Parts: sequence; C-alpha cells; structure tokens
Amino acid sequence: MSGMSFILAGMLAAATPFLLAALGELVVERAGVLNLGLEGIMALGAVVAFIVVYHGGGHPAAFAVAALAGCALSLVFGFLALGVRANQVAAGLAVGILGQGLSSLIGNSYESLTVTGLAKWAVPGLADLPVVGGLFVQDIVVWLSLLATAAIWGMFRFSKLGLILRAVGENPQAARAIGYRVIAIRYGAVAFGGAMAGLAGAYASTVYTPLWADGMIAGRGWIALALVVFGTWLTGRIFFGALLFGAVSLASLVAQTEGWAVPSQLLSSLPYIVTIIVLGIITSNKRLLKVNGVASLGEPFGP
Amino acid sequence: MNMIARRTFLQTSALAAVAAAIGARGASAQEPLGIALVLPSPLGDVGWSHTLAAGLDPVKAAYGDAVKITLLENIAEGPDADRIMNKAVADGNKVLIAGSFGYQNGAMQIAKRDPSVTVLHASGFMVAPNFSPFAAKYFQGTYLLGMAAAALSKTGKLGSVSAFAIPELITSVNAFTLGAQAVNPDVEVSVVWVNTWFDPAKEQEAAKALIAQGCDVIFSNAQDTPSVIAACEEAGVYAFNLNSSMKSYAPTRYLGCVATDWSPFFKASVDAHLAGNFVGANAFLGVADQVVEVVDWSPDIPADIMARITETEAKIADGSFTPFTGPITKADDSEGVAAGASMGDAEIVAMDWHVKGVVTPLPQ
Repeated sequence: MSGMSFILAGMLAAATPFLLAALGELVVERAGVLNLGLEGIMALGAVVAFIVVYHGGGHPAAFAVAALAGCALSLVFGFLALGVRANQVAAGLAVGILGQGLSSLIGNSYESLTVTGLAKWAVPGLADLPVVGGLFVQDIVVWLSLLATAAIWGMFRFSKLGLILRAVGENPQAARAIGYRVIAIRYGAVAFGGAMAGLAGAYASTVYTPLWADGMIAGRGWIALALVVFGTWLTGRIFFGALLFGAVSLASLVAQTEGWAVPSQLLSSLPYIVTIIVLGIITSNKRLLKVNGVASLGEPFGP
Repeated sequence: MNMIARRTFLQTSALAAVAAAIGARGASAQEPLGIALVLPSPLGDVGWSHTLAAGLDPVKAAYGDAVKITLLENIAEGPDADRIMNKAVADGNKVLIAGSFGYQNGAMQIAKRDPSVTVLHASGFMVAPNFSPFAAKYFQGTYLLGMAAAALSKTGKLGSVSAFAIPELITSVNAFTLGAQAVNPDVEVSVVWVNTWFDPAKEQEAAKALIAQGCDVIFSNAQDTPSVIAACEEAGVYAFNLNSSMKSYAPTRYLGCVATDWSPFFKASVDAHLAGNFVGANAFLGVADQVVEVVDWSPDIPADIMARITETEAKIADGSFTPFTGPITKADDSEGVAAGASMGDAEIVAMDWHVKGVVTPLPQ
C-alpha cells in the first residue's frame, strides 16, 4: 500500500473524534456559549464507553452511555455558565479538569486493558478502486458521523431550529423579546454538545484505538475546539478542517516510513501551525469575523 | 484568583507544619525506612511504571515492616513533581526513587539539601554522593530480538514505533538492526518517531503505517500502552516491546519482551542505604546484572536461530560479546565503530546516529 492510499484510507477514522466533538461544539457556540471543557468531556465519554464494551455491553450501549455521561457533565457546565452565570471560560476549564480527573478515577482499574473494535463496512464497487478504495472501507460510526455532518449542515441552513439557535447566539436580547426562551435553548445546545463530545470520546476508546489508558484523548478535545474557529463556525469548513487534521496527523507518520525529506517534528506540529495562521487571518479581518463569528459568544445572559 | 491564593497558602502552611513535626520527631529512632517511588504515568498492569513498582516488591518481601513504601503515580514532570517529591521527603521518606528523566533537577536539589536522603533517578546523567542515576541496557535485549525478527520476517522489512529520537531509544533501534543483520544482512529497518511519550491512537496509526509499508515485525520502543502490540496482533504481524510482557495482548504474534527487573538494583541500594555506605554512581545495568532479560520468546522462532540467540545471550551475560562491536557502518556510510573495537558505556549513552540498515533518516 502506498503512503497516499494509507492516508486516504485512514483519514476519515482519524478525523472522526475531532469531527464529532467539533460539530457538537459548533452548535454550542452558535447558541452563544463557549464550552472549553471538551477534552474532559471526551475523556469521560471514552472511559464509560470503554467500561461498557469491556463488560460485554456492546458498542451501541457504550455509545449511548457515553453520550449520556457527556450530556450530564456538560449540564454541570451549563448550570455554572447559564444557571448562575459564571464566567464561561472559567466554568468550561473547571468542568474540563473535572472530566479528566473523573475519567482517571473511574478508569483506574481498567488501565491498559483492550477491547475489540468495530468491523469495517465497505461501499460495494467503490471499495475496489485503486488508491482511493480505502476511503470507502470504514466502520459504521464514520459513516454515521458523515450523516451527522450533513444533518447539522442542513439544520443550520434550512430549518427553523437552526435559525432560532443562531438568533439566540447573535442577539439573545432580541431572541428573548420575540418570545424564545434563551436559557432553555442554550441548555439544550450545551447538552447536545456534551453528548457529541461523549460520542467522540467513545469512538476514540472503543473503535479508533480500542483500549483505555489515562490521558489517551491526548489533546484531541483542544483540537476540536480549535477546529470550530478554524472552520469559522461553518459546518462544511469544520468538516474539511477535521479531514485535514486527520490527514496531516497520518502524513506525519507516513512521511517517515516513506522517507520524505520533511522533518517529522514539523509535520507533527503542522495542524497547530495551520490553526494559528487561520486564527491570525480571521481575527485580523474584521469583516470575516463579523460575517461568520457569533456576536454574543461567551457573554453571560440573564433577564 | 482569591481562592487559588488561599489554597496555595493553606498548602504551604500545611507543608510547613508537617516539616516542623518531622523535625521534632527526627530524634526518635527505629521508624520504618520510608521509600517513596514517584511515577510519571498511571500504574497499569504493564509498562514502565508497573516495572518500577514491581521492582520494589522483593525489597518489601525482604524487609517486611522495616520499610514503608509510598507509590506516587501519574505525576507530571515539572514544578508539580518537585513539590510532590519535596513533600515525600518532608513526610520522612529517606529513599526517593524518581521514575522519570524530567524529575532530575528537582530530585538533585533534594539530594544536595539533605545528605541523609538517598535518591535513585531513572535515565538521567547527574551523579552525587547520595544520588544514583539508573538506566537499563535495553540494547542487549533488542539485539537478540532483532535476530528473531530477521528469522521470522518474510519481507525483510522491520519497523519500529519509537517515542523520541534520544540516545536511549536510538541505541535500542540500532542494536535491533544489528541483531537482525546478524541473521539476514539485507534486512531494512524503518522507524516512525511519533514525537510523544503518550498518545495511544498515534502509536497505533504509526504501527499501521509501518505495516502498510510491508514491515512484518514491529518493535514498540518505549510505549507504555499495548496500543502497538494490539494493532500488530490484529494485522497478523509479529511485535515486541520493552519493560513488561504484553503477551496477553498478542497471544499468537508476540515475539518476546525485553523485560527489566529493577529489584536487584533497588535491593542493593536499600541495603547500602541502611548500612550507611551508599555511594552514588551511574548504574547502567544489563543482562549481566540480571536487570535486563528477554522473556516470553515466541514459539515460532526456528530452533537453529533460537540456539544462536541463547548462545549470544550467554556471551552478552559473560561480557565476551557486546552488540556494538565493530566494524559498524553509520547510515551515512561513514565509519561508526572500527573493526575489532567496541563502544564503551559512555559512547553508547550518547549515541546520536543510526547504523546502516536503518532506512529512515534520523530527525535533526
């Protein structure tokens, strides 16, 4: 297998944890709330899903439990940020640290155990293509997360719910004035974001790398957060950003096996460098920021 | 902000109180000897931290209630580790085992400040009268596994997933390559440096990338989780690792384990500490010291190769052979070790070049 086909075959799976978490965070941020606790919520989702699979509960139950756990932890953040209107940055960081602590506590006796991942499902016909064939052999979660991407894109573009979420994020006072329950809607968004982060963690610990080790999320929650900004709060761009991150992370490995004349350290840090550049561009371009940014992001709202 | 300042204050005053109590108690004799082991990662069933902790079991067995062992796991390198090590010593521990390279400066400060404390430090280079760095000669074991790998490989391509390009890991890869060449001179070794000590997902992807390139034996170099081993079992290629056996993760494809047993060193150091004649020195320990041993050999290794391996192992143990014996050519075709010469410990611990046969360029 050539390096290129290896990257093509693996990048969707590599991108899935980023993608799921970033899509959830997109909904949260679109509603005007900044949840920085993704890393911890993913870790909690990862450990509970792993435990369910390890004890024979199966993957569907594991993903459900991870979504619930993520939901529950994000509602703790929701209570702090929305209920008592604490500073969202501080509340998010605190919940993130709580999640990481909880995950190492719960996972303590499961350290370094392994489970079996999910079988891959191939698209008939396309899977046999040369070079790109591997792209069409993926596990079910990857296919479902592609569907989720399309669903969230459609939700923001065509549905009333999408409009309401955006209204709540752009101008909560106005949204409230026309009768929407801003806080309740934001709670809903936060819960959804938490559930998605839980699923992202579950994918990481039971499918992508089917083992539990404390700290295995290894910064993927932070990359997901960066992806939302990288994608300027647009679903399509976040999707391509996640793919790019997945591809680059594999490229840094393939570069070495293929002997490309690129330093591996540079490739390892490439996703972060690209994020910084994009952040620089969009924050220096006021027009871009105004068009796509969320006006009330991170601001506490209360009657 | 207020809360944080308050908490720091409380911690500091608690520490001061503990220190004062210890000072007052110091005069009384016949307390059990406190041994504190500080570990960089969670204490799992396998891996580096597990091996260090297991090395203290014979000490506990030998001294019973005369020693009191404290395990401090998952301590990040940096200021936090310094604080925790200081607290461990303030709590009365007299033997401090600092289980990670990054604890070096903090541990050395403790050793200098309090000569009554004996410090053992993993994989460092600093030495003091009461401070011994210790490291394992993994290369002796990886050489033997290289011989086995070359015998079992069908493609003649071997791979290694390695953490960082530092001398300790480079040495292991080089010896692995030399051992493989002793069986099959045409063998090629590819290395993926993942540039992280801990990212199971990335390690697993690296293993898959090597397998996709045709490597059919993978050396998991300094990975604390079974990520690489499990991926190799799934892909049907042989794999081996360092420190503690991961055979249960690869029942059919486990080539062997370069196991480390620190108990002879820990026991000797505690003995010396109690006798009052501990002298800090660089402890670079291998097969001859019974610290390094290859265990769980795969039953698939052909009998004639296994006989050669056993013979080589005996020669390494009695000192009549070392893997880094010339002539060795560097990857850039210059001379590494002249014919007839062999590298000393000081050269080995500073090795920053690949031997010929490692096809991946070394990151600069």
